[in-house]
This record gives sequence, structure tokens and C-alpha cells, in this order.
Amino acid sequence: MSSHSAESVDPGKVSLWDYEHHGHDPISTRTLGFWLYMLSDAMIFAALFAAYGVYVRNAAGGPTEADIIHPIYAMWESVVVFTSVFAYGLGMAALKKGNRAGVINGLLAAFALGLVFLGMEYKEFADLIADGAVPQRSGFLSAYWTIVLTHGLHMIFGLLWMLVMLFQVMREGFTQNVVYRLINLRLFWHFQAIIWVCVFTFVYLKGVL
Amino acid sequence: MSREKFPGALRYLALMPLLFLGGCSTQHFWLFNPKGPISETELHYLILDVAVMLVIIIPTTLMVIWFLWRYRKNAKTQAAYDPNWTHSNILEVIVWGVPVVIVAILGYYSYVGIHEVNPYNPTILASKAQSGADPLEIDVVTTDWQWLFIYPKQHIAVSNELVIPTHTKVDFRLTSTSVTNNFFIPQLVGQIYIMPGMRTKQSLLAEHAGEYHGFSASLSGGGFAWMNFKTKAVSQSDFDTWVAKVQQSDTHMSYADFEKFARPTVNIGGKTTYFSNVEPGLFTQVIKAAKAGKVYPTPNALTENMQSEEFLKHSN
Amino acid sequence: MLVDLQGPWNPLFGRLGLLLEVHYNNPVLFFAFELSVVVGVILLFWATCARKWGYIWREWLTTVDHKKIGVMYIVVGLVMMFRGFFDALMIRSQQAIAVGPDSPGVLGAAHGYLPPYHFDQVFTAHGMIMILVAATPILVGMMNIIVPLQIGARDMAYPYLNALGLWLTVVSAALVMIALFIGDFSHAGWVGLAPLTELPYSPGVGVDYWIWSIQIGSVGTTMGAINLIATIIKMRAPGMTWGRIPVFTWTSMASNIIALTSFPVLGVTLALLTFDRYLGTHFFTVGLGGDLMMYTNLFWIWGHPEVYFVVLPAFGMLSEIIPTFSEKPLFGYVTMVIASMAIAAVSWSVWLHHFFTMGAGPNVNAYFSIATMLVGIPTGVKVFNWAFTMYRSRMRFDTPMLWAIGSVFLLISGGMTGMMLAVPAINYIVHNSVFVIAHFHNMFLLIVYAAFGAVTYWFPKVFGFTLDERWGKRFFWFFTAGTLMVFIPMYTLGFMGMTRRLDYVSHTAWWPLLNAEMVGIGLYAISIACFVMQLAVSIRDREKNAVGADAWGTSRTLEWATHSPVPYYNFAVTPIIHDRDEWAWRRKHGLTSLKPDRYVDIHMPKNTAVPLVLGVLSLAFGFAMVWRIWWLAAISAIAMLLVIIYRSFDKDTDYIIPASDVERMEKEMLARAERVEGNAPAPGGAAGGAYASPQAPSKRHQGD
Ligand code: HEO
Ligand code: HEM
Ligand SMILES: [Cu+2]
Repeated sequence: MSSHSAESVDPGKVSLWDYEHHGHDPISTRTLGFWLYMLSDAMIFAALFAAYGVYVRNAAGGPTEADIIHPIYAMWESVVVFTSVFAYGLGMAALKKGNRAGVINGLLAAFALGLVFLGMEYKEFADLIADGAVPQRSGFLSAYWTIVLTHGLHMIFGLLWMLVMLFQVMREGFTQNVVYRLINLRLFWHFQAIIWVCVFTFVYLKGVL
Repeated sequence: MSREKFPGALRYLALMPLLFLGGCSTQHFWLFNPKGPISETELHYLILDVAVMLVIIIPTTLMVIWFLWRYRKNAKTQAAYDPNWTHSNILEVIVWGVPVVIVAILGYYSYVGIHEVNPYNPTILASKAQSGADPLEIDVVTTDWQWLFIYPKQHIAVSNELVIPTHTKVDFRLTSTSVTNNFFIPQLVGQIYIMPGMRTKQSLLAEHAGEYHGFSASLSGGGFAWMNFKTKAVSQSDFDTWVAKVQQSDTHMSYADFEKFARPTVNIGGKTTYFSNVEPGLFTQVIKAAKAGKVYPTPNALTENMQSEEFLKHSN
Repeated sequence: MLVDLQGPWNPLFGRLGLLLEVHYNNPVLFFAFELSVVVGVILLFWATCARKWGYIWREWLTTVDHKKIGVMYIVVGLVMMFRGFFDALMIRSQQAIAVGPDSPGVLGAAHGYLPPYHFDQVFTAHGMIMILVAATPILVGMMNIIVPLQIGARDMAYPYLNALGLWLTVVSAALVMIALFIGDFSHAGWVGLAPLTELPYSPGVGVDYWIWSIQIGSVGTTMGAINLIATIIKMRAPGMTWGRIPVFTWTSMASNIIALTSFPVLGVTLALLTFDRYLGTHFFTVGLGGDLMMYTNLFWIWGHPEVYFVVLPAFGMLSEIIPTFSEKPLFGYVTMVIASMAIAAVSWSVWLHHFFTMGAGPNVNAYFSIATMLVGIPTGVKVFNWAFTMYRSRMRFDTPMLWAIGSVFLLISGGMTGMMLAVPAINYIVHNSVFVIAHFHNMFLLIVYAAFGAVTYWFPKVFGFTLDERWGKRFFWFFTAGTLMVFIPMYTLGFMGMTRRLDYVSHTAWWPLLNAEMVGIGLYAISIACFVMQLAVSIRDREKNAVGADAWGTSRTLEWATHSPVPYYNFAVTPIIHDRDEWAWRRKHGLTSLKPDRYVDIHMPKNTAVPLVLGVLSLAFGFAMVWRIWWLAAISAIAMLLVIIYRSFDKDTDYIIPASDVERMEKEMLARAERVEGNAPAPGGAAGGAYASPQAPSKRHQGD
């Protein structure tokens, strides 16, 4: 191993200590951590999707996929989610220019669209309850509710986070902390859209194929 | 190595447990005393597997011991000291290559072995069973915490005791009313899970008459340690006599009777009961009920004192 | 209520009324309660009398220093291991008494002194505690302390998250301990066998304690994993390239990749079970479309990687200890790294070997059998590389090395029995038997050995003095005698056909060996006494045993290139890395001076009480969920959210240590090092390892 061969060094010439080293760039470190967190979150959904693949057959005489799934409605939900992500993206473009009003508007639009999505989801599940398609009815319904609402719960947290960010942008402007949080929230919000695509494909589309 | 006397002497203490290996008579080593082809095959693979592994384990162990002794730090070993030796391409190939070969051999035997003793279709039995004779069918139902062996063709059932003829293949179907159990007769056949709402299978063949221990090998709650059953392997004629005797029993078993039988019961007394006129299709009915949500809940009272009245109500 | 609960419930107290209905008045519990209370009171009394509260608050409870957090992790782990040992003692004594139908029974048991449900709780608690709140915290603590030092970082990437991870682990341990006194614990095995954990078969709160304890702790572990991976990727000192990272750090990386990807699966599994128990869904029930084998699959998809999560850091520890005491660099660094990653990768595709007996088809079983055995290859490579590190070395047998050697032998023997279990045809007769128990204790003890070795090895780095060798050796030999005395009979019993988790042993032929195990437990108890003595004696002699930066004289990696005890800022000036074994390299070139040319300002994170507050709130949340006190659960959950938001407004999170302060502290430490110089081998001296001239042995480590 070359690194262990006895090469000679001049003790006077090597530098042992780095006086200028200021460590890492805080924003990229935070972002890396958030990527790692999302990896673990992705594992949660992977496990749920795997489970769903099994439970989808276990309707136990109750409503089946075909009975409760409305892909067209879900498609409109997808449109809303993606518009929200797009609005957030506009806000982030404004961030690059240091345009505070632009960021606030982008966030507000993303927030409103997120609320619309949750509203649509609320209606969907209210209808399910009205039809007696509650999670206690069968393994399939347990899994369906869990997977869709786990995504919904993430959306709720995203909206809450957005509120806090709106407040912080207004109060503090673009400090380092605010900027990295805005970047992480964008990752999070995009990630929810991706998860929604998976839900849409594996739950809603597959349900009618 | 330090010269302190006390720890030095202690080292020998550590060897003491080895005495136990020699001290036990072999008849209690159920795994080494198989009484049927399935257990025999399983033992065969156990020995084979260990033998193949020892080819690498023994030299490795000896090598480590030798290094420990040879390269301990003192004046004599100083000469061999070579701190720059940290890599060798030849060794690299050997350390990866040899385990690969060993694992390949083990993998091959594992593949062959699993087919021979596969619970659903053990090929090893095909060669051993007496030709012509139909296999005996037995349905096994476990409850919290008893065994029910149903002989559907004979319309009889026995709780907590299994009687089988020797030299006849016995085919089991197994299910449970409540939680998962595990069917195990070490000297005759390996384990298979017994799961509620599902049906598993197992087959065995006893080559020697005798009484063997059977039990559940999977924790199933409070009465689990008492979930034992005797397995009596008897000659065909004795078996026929026994069947006739059980068919005379006044205790019957309809599905309604079964629901009473299946309530949580700790079989501390080791009680066995013979049932005649067993309702046909009982086994499938149990599975269907479980799938539809039938449960036999464990009462809170069972969590406490085994001498309390509540507990005694549930023991037998 | 969406589910049918046995027993009372009311909105204010939830299910606490159960405590009156079911009598949890067991004398065994009472003893445990007394013990905990007495110890607790003594500690509180001491802290108050010695006016230590301010110190404890400032220096420990609110700290974000990775070393202190690591120490607290290890202390929690050791304390819980002691609790787990008590459980083992109870399991063993019950099985030694309750043998055969004629054996006596007391305290409400038909045989022995533990009724079945109580006994089942004991081994469930033992298994869960030992793995999740003893072994895991000890290893996580070790990684916490050592990894930043080995890569030349000031702290972890997210110090605040690090403290939060610790407090969540403490909450996990606290919930298990509370379960001992208020209510009961799960009786369904540490794996939580489904559907035994479903409400009809586990109507009490035991399973809920088990769920919430694991769930909260595993959130902490996942956070720790994120933190460690980010630290290793982002916080390395200049020159610390991927090819130079010490092997312990590499194995920590592999291990935390496993944790990051597998713990979420456990979270999902437990959440689904929670829904079944709290909301009446049908995930793992038998009827109405539930699928109980789904639980088993999901559990082991986490459970198997988990065992490699705990074993990989242990392999890393061996890879640090063996070269140091062989006075030679590790053989085959690259291979070692590849092997660690290979183990992590394969660990994902073998889970089904825990239920070969489920009745899957022969080809499925064969696939998982062969995949399982593949792990033997990289593990074998590790064993060979350690052996070749010893080849042509100069081995000293200080206590850390003894533990390391013991560990290697345990790995070889336990690995062999693991390979036996991996063959379905064999597995069918030993599955769920005490043979399996012996296999995995063999493996876990390997970890315990490595961890004790590592504690002894790195103790002087953290505290500035070495642990007593004489008592350490006694500890080692008694522990080893105990290990052999318990687990050789256990393997033997496996061949006799004894199955696991038996609260009553029906077969009297097993009795002699069960008694032998009892003797082994006695030896363990003596060894624990030796450990306590070792600590006491070492603390008494701390002046005599004080050491400088390089405690062993032959250590190789970067953590030895700063003072012992390590100052809270780790390195006065960030080191520049030149070699894989940086410290050995510096020693070789006579560059061991820790005095840089000048000092610079240091940027440090501030202490914060927020993680502790979040910990307390999650304890309240866990407790409330267990007892279904919804209002308390809601309040604590909302409070947690508010605290997190509140903290995000806090801008005052770091501070600067001025260069002049650093200089003053460094002066003191250099003076200390000078003072203790004589106690330890001089750096670069005769024991200087690979780069030293082969001359007379050092003063302290006389060869024999
Ligand atoms: C730290 C913990 C740990 C570790 C490291 C391992 C390592 C291994 N385990 Fe074990 N295990 C662990 C912990 C457990 N195992 C279990 C159960 C278990 C079962 C299921 C048993 C059953 O329930 O029926 C199998 C098949 C294995 C196999 C293996 C194998 C093949 C390895 C391999 O990684 C070992 C590799 C090492 C070897 C092989 C030795 C060194 C190699 C040399 C010297 C080179 C050459 C050798 C060959 C090529 C053969 N384990 C359970 C049961 C849980 C429960 O049910 O409660 C636990 C907790
Ligand atoms: C001090 C030494 C130890 C002793 C004497 C001991 C003893 C035991 C015993 C007697 C059992 C029950 C066996 C049975 O089911 O019949 C058991 C189970 C178990 N032990 Fe240990 N143990 C020790 C240390 C450890 C350690 C260090 C770990 C893990 C890191 C551990 C993990 C487990 C687990 C997971 C189980 C299985 C629990 C279950 O069946 O659900 N043990 N131990
Ligand atoms: Cu495994």
C-alpha cells in the first residue's frame, strides 16, 4: 500500500494545521441532511406501497378498488398539486433575485392551492364514509386510507411549514436560516408531488386498469 | 501478556463448560435420534453442512490461535515483525475465493436438501412409503392452547394426543383458530407454522413404533408451555383397534362443540379427549370462520395468578 | 372508541382504571421498584447535596457536545444492559425451577415463581431492551464520540438534532422502565408476533408500551443516522479523502445507511399495528382481509438489517483495536471497506430466513438460504484480514485487545451456527429452539465484547485516564467464563430439542444443563461486580493513570491527535490529513506536537434546552397514547409542534470562542500533557508502531 511506504517528508515543510478552515457551507450541509431525511421518508412510502400491493386483493366482500376509486377526480387533484409546486417554483425564482414580494406571492399561491387539494381530499373521504367504505371494513380499505392519508398528512405539515416560512420571510427577510429552509421546503413540496404521482399511478390508475 | 496470577488461573475456568458436552447421554438428543426419514434427512444435512464448514472454520481458528501465540510481543518474536505488510494480491484472491467456493457447496446442498424435506411434497418420503397404501390424512387445529387432531376419513378426533400407524405416510393439513402456532415432533418431522385463516401442510412417516414428544414451537400466549402432545406411533393393526375404540366414544364434536372447545384453556393437566362423530368439513369451517373475523379473545383475567379462580376456570 | 376495550376507560384518566382492576402487585416487581427508587433517591440526594444541579444542567442536560451526548448514550446503554441482565437472571432462574410437573410454584405461578404472562413480559423486555436500548445506544454513543474526532470535525453536522436523538432514546428506555411499575409490558416476544399482539389476544396496555417505546426510540435512531451520514460526507478535515477515512468511520457509515433505510420500515410496521389496535383497521388481523404474514415480512425487513446495523460498528471497533495492539496497520483496508458495504447491501435481501418454516415453496426458501449464506463471504474476509493484521505483528494483550480477540472467536463460532440455520433443511429442526437463542447471543456477545473493548480503548481519550488493567482482566475472564457456561449448554439444549420462550419446562432431562446455565449467570454477576470495581479503582487512581494525547502509544488514527480528555472544541486548529493512519504518520515523522503556530477563533454551537423539552413532551405523549388519555396526547403533540416552531425563530444558536481563550485553554492542556508524560509511552517512542524503530519495549507495556 503506497500510503504506508516509508516516503520521506521534510518536517519543516508539511503543514499540519489549517488555520483558514471554516468547515462546511451551512446551507449545503442542511440541504444534504434534508435529502437524507427524504430518503427515509421515501422508505416509508415504499413500505406502504408494497403493503398496498398485497392488501388491494383483500376486500373481504366489501367495496373493491373499482367501487371507490375515481381516477378523473384524482387527476384534478394532481393538477392542483402540480400547480402548487409550480407556484412555489415561481417564488423560488423570485428568491434568486432577492425579491421579497415575489417569494411571498409564490408561497401564498402554493399555500392556497395546497388547501384546495386538502379540501378535495376531504370531500373524497367524506363520501367514502357516507358509503360505509371506512378503514375498519376490510384490509383493502385500511391500506387505501392509510396510504392516501399518509400523503395527506405530509401535505398538512407542508402547509404548516409554509405558514411559518411566510411569517419568517416577512419578519426576517432572506437570512441564511430562512434561505435554507425555503430550499428544503421546496424539496419537500416537490417530493410530495412525486409521491402523489406514485399514489395516482399505483392506486388510482391501476385501480381502473 | 500480563503476569498477574489471578486472571491467569481464571482462564482455565472458562474451559469448564466443555465438560458438559461429554457428560450427557445421547438418548436425550432428540435431533440426533431421528425415527423417520424426514428427521433423518434433516440430521444428514446438519452433519454435512457442519463438515463442509469445518473445512474452513477449523483452519481459520487454528490460524488465529497460532498467530496470537507466534506474534505476541517479546524479544524472540521481534525478528519477524514487519509493519509494512498490509496488502497481498494473492491473499486477496484466497480470502474472497475460498469462502465463495464453500458457500457455493453449501448452497448446492441447501437447494437439494430443501426439496427432499419440503413440507408440501417431501421427495424423500416418496421412496420410503410402502407402495400401495394410501396416506393417512389428519387435520390439525390448534386453539389457545390445545391441539385437536381430526381424522376426517375415520370421523374421529383426539385432543392433545396424536396416534399414527408406522410405515404409513401421514399427510397433515394444519390451521389455527386464533394465533400462530408451530407443529413440531423433533424425532419425526421438522417445523411448520400453523396460522389462523390459512392452511399449511406437512407429511411424515414413522419407521419405529414408540412414543415421541410433540409440541408447539412458536410462542402463542399464556398456555403455550403446556401445549404438548404425545405422538404414539403404533403398528397398523393397533392403529385400527384404536380407531375403532375412539369411534365408540360418547363425546361428539360438531362445530358448536368445537366453539366451546376452542375457548382459551391452559392444558396444565395434560388432558386428552376422544371425540367421535366429528362433523364433516370441520377443518374448512374453522378456516372460513377465522377469515370472517371469528376470534376467541383472551380475557384480562388470564394475565394474573395461575391459582386464582378465574384462571382455574380456564385450565384443564 | 373505535375498538372494543376490555376494562374501563374514561376521558380524564384513559385506561388507568385498569390498574385497580388487574392487580399488578407482584413482589418481584416490588423489588425492582424498590431498587430503582433507592438508586434514584441516592442520585438525587447526591446531586442536591453536592450542589451539582447547575453543573448537570449546563454541562449535560442541555449540552450539544457530541462527546458528552455520546457518553450519555453509553451510560444509558450500560444501565439498560444491567436491567436486561436482571431480566436474563429471572428467565434463567424460572427455567431452572419450573422443570417437570412436580416442580413447586409460588407467587401465583403453577411452577416456579413467574406466571406465564409475567415470564413472557420478562423475555420480551429483555430482548427489546438489549437490542434497542442497550446495544444500540452503546454503539450509537461510540460513533457519536469517535467519528467526528476521526475525521477531524468540530462537532456533528447537526448538534441540536444529535441531542434530540439522545433524548428520544432516553424516552424509549424510560417508557420500558415505566411499564415495569405502571401497567405491564408486551408478552409477545421482542418481535411482537402477529396476531398475538392484536387487541383480542393482548387486551392490556403491554403491547402499547412496546409499540410506543420502540416507535419513539426509532425516530431518534433515524435522526442519528441522518446526522452521522451528513457528518461523514460534509465535515471531514482537509485531506481526509474517502480513501483515508478510518475503518471505524467507514463501518459507521455502512451501519447508518442501514439504519436510515430500515428504521422507517419498522416505523410503518408499528404504525399499521397501532392502527389495528387503536382504530380497528385490518392490517394484521386474521379476519376481514388482514394479513398476519405481512407483519412478519415487514418486521424482518427491518429486523434483519437491524442486526447488521449493530454488528457493523462492532467490526469497526475491532478494526481499530487490533492494529493498535498489533503495532501494525490494518491489513487490506480497501477490502475491509468493500466488505462492510457488501454486508450492508446483502442484509436487505435475506429477511425471509427468519421464517423458513412458514410454508413458502422450496425455491423461495432456497433463494433466501443462499442469499443469507452470501453474507458469510464478506464477513469471512474481515476475519481473515484481522488475522493477517496479526501476522508478523507485535501483539500486546492489554484489555481492549483481549476483548477484541474474544470477539473474533465469538464471530467465528456464531457465524458458523448462523450458516447452519440458513439451510432450510436444518432450520426446520432448530428454528425457534434455544439453538437460535444461542446463535444470536453468540453474535450479540461479539458486539458486547467489541463494545467493552472499545470502551476501554477510547476511555482515556474521553476522560484522560486509563481504566484499571488488573480489574479489567478479571472482568474479562469472569465474563468469558460466564459466556461459555451459559451458551455452550444452550447450544447443547438446542440439539436436545428444547424450544425457546418456555415458562415451564416439561422435560426433566434438560434440567442439569439449565442448572449449568444458572452457574454461568452467577459468573456473569461476578464479572459485573468486577466491572464496577474497575470503574471505582480507576476513578480513585485517575491521577496515577492519567495519560496524554496518545494513550496507548501505538494508536494510529486522527482521534489521538488531540488532547486527552478532548476539549469541547475537539481540535484547537483543524488538522490537515496526509495519510490513512494520520497519527501514526505524524509519529513516524516526529510531528506529534499538538502546539500549532498560532490560534484562531472557533465557531461553536450553543447549548440548548429545546431537545430536552421535546424529550419530556414525547414521554408525555407516549405515556398518554399507551393509556389512551387523548387530551394529554393532543396537548403534548401540539406543544411539541409549537416548541419546534418557536426554536426556528431562535437566531442565537452559536457563538465564537476567541483565539485568546483557545490559547489559554490549550496552554493548560499542554501543561497537563507534560505533567502526565511519564505515565504513558512517549509519542514516537519505542512503542511507536509501524513507524517506530524496533527497540526496547516501552515503560508501561512490558512484554512478557
Ligand atoms: C448481531 C447480530 C447477528 C448477526 C451478526 C447474525 C449473523 C448471521 N445470522 Fe443470525 N445474526 C444475528 C442476530 C440474529 N440472528 C437471528 C436468526 C438467524 C436465523 C434464523 C433462525 C431462525 O429463527 O430459524 C438465521 C438463518 C441466521 C443466520 C445468520 C447468518 C448466516 C449470519 C452471518 O452474518 C454470519 C457470518 C459469519 C460467519 C460465517 C463466520 C466468519 C466467517 C468465516 C470464518 C469465513 C468462512 C466461512 C464460511 C464461508 C462458512 N440468523 C436472530 C433471531 C431473532 C429472533 O428470532 O428472535 C438474531 C437476533
Ligand atoms: C448477559 C447475558 C445474557 C443472558 C444470560 C441472556 C439470556 C437470555 C435468555 C435466557 C433468553 C430467553 C431464551 C428463551 O426464550 O428461552 C434470552 C432471550 C433474548 N436475549 Fe438474551 N441474554 C443475555 C444478553 C443479551 C444481549 C446482550 C442481547 C442483545 C443485544 C440479548 C438479546 C436477547 C433477545 C433478542 C432475546 C429473545 C427475546 C424473545 O424471545 O423475544 N440478550 N436471553
Ligand atoms: Cu436475519
